[in-house]
Amino acid sequence: MTDPPTNLHLGPLSPASGPLYQQIVDGIKREVLADRLTAGSALPSYRVLAEQLLVSLITVKRAYEELEREGITFSRQGLGTFVAVRGNDRTRADRRAAARSALRSAIHAARQAGVTDRELIQMLRAELKSQPAETNDETIRGRAP
Amino acid sequence: MSASAIEFQSIQKSFGLAFSLGPLTLSVPRGSIYALIGPNGAGKSTALNMLMGMGEPTLGSIQVLDRDIRHGEVEIKRRTAYVSPDMDYRAWGTVGRAIDFVRGFYPDWDAARCEELQFAFGVHRDSRVDALSFGARMKLALVLALSRDAELLVLDEPTLGLDAIARRQLFAELLKFMTGEGRTILISSHQLTDLERFADHAAIVNQGKLLTSGRMDKLVERYRQFDARVLRDTPSGVPGVSVIDRQGDRVRLLVDADLVSANALELPEIEVLAQVPLTLEDLFLALIKSANNRSGWWPHMSAA
Repeated sequence: MTDPPTNLHLGPLSPASGPLYQQIVDGIKREVLADRLTAGSALPSYRVLAEQLLVSLITVKRAYEELEREGITFSRQGLGTFVAVRGNDRTRADRRAAARSALRSAIHAARQAGVTDRELIQMLRAELKSQPAETNDETIRGRAP
Repeated sequence: MSASAIEFQSIQKSFGLAFSLGPLTLSVPRGSIYALIGPNGAGKSTALNMLMGMGEPTLGSIQVLDRDIRHGEVEIKRRTAYVSPDMDYRAWGTVGRAIDFVRGFYPDWDAARCEELQFAFGVHRDSRVDALSFGARMKLALVLALSRDAELLVLDEPTLGLDAIARRQLFAELLKFMTGEGRTILISSHQLTDLERFADHAAIVNQGKLLTSGRMDKLVERYRQFDARVLRDTPSGVPGVSVIDRQGDRVRLLVDADLVSANALELPEIEVLAQVPLTLEDLFLALIKSANNRSGWWPHMSAA
């Protein structure tokens, strides 16, 4: 038997921060990445999560479909939706891809501004040094040997 | 058991020459919150009233919870709770007496739930009904409807007179209701921002006719808004594209992605500047505007 559905804390959703289903997808990925939702744990039913987050059932359903499509979760007919064993890795891979893409944009912007590669590396070092608390999140801790 | 909780099949009803409803075909999926949206006088209440035995369609048929309304009225009412702004409980004097009177009709009455709801909506047993504000009377009607273990809720303008806090409370209670198995809600309201967030499906009606319907998210994605600059006159109409606003040489276009091809806006007459996010309210305004101004999908656009 699996654990009972976890009480998810995704925080209040607001239409001002983009599509609501995407906020649910991002929130659940965050929970998976932080190991607050571990492989095999059950997500709440559509109806329960909709009631908790004050959004339509369709919104939650769509978020769950998206998570399943990305391999973060899987569903079993009549049993519910569960976090996939590799869900955490996939979320991490997603995040790394997003970080790499942001880095590429930064390089592009730097070249446009005539910043040399050496200067760019110095900039990166300075930025890393200036936000140690920010970078000291689950991503780093999770990866540390 | 049908997958629909409610089916309107090609219904028509006329009231002399002044107004006619239909032909209207709509099906409300079981297990969903379905929003019925339309301007005042679009026929929303007429349609909802028929579900509750107030008026029959001249043509067509209506099924509610797998029963025809012509034969299944008692069964339908046993399983359906209904709220409308016209409900009047003043004759019972106090809120408590109104509750005590109504609960006796329903074997599915849940007294504990009723207590919770009174607390949630701030409705007090000893208040005099005739001293209540319009909004507070609406809350009383909602307490009475939600205290039952109904399968179907038919809510005609339940947000009328409610402030933002009470509306949020109402939708929280509706989502709680939906956690039960096989529950369905059909709701009409002008609070489009709330409906966009809480309803699963929507139908937009105007002058007794259906303009569009579908899953809420798909509906808002199907239609797109663009801002464009008019470069020169265009006398030809493009089906699926309508001008919803215009200021000087700038136009705002509504595009129905189901009707147009991907390059529909690549026209020599216009230059598309940006895609603008679309809300349910934008869609509503645009559809009503273009329906009421049938003269053209693409009216003459002289670059005046």
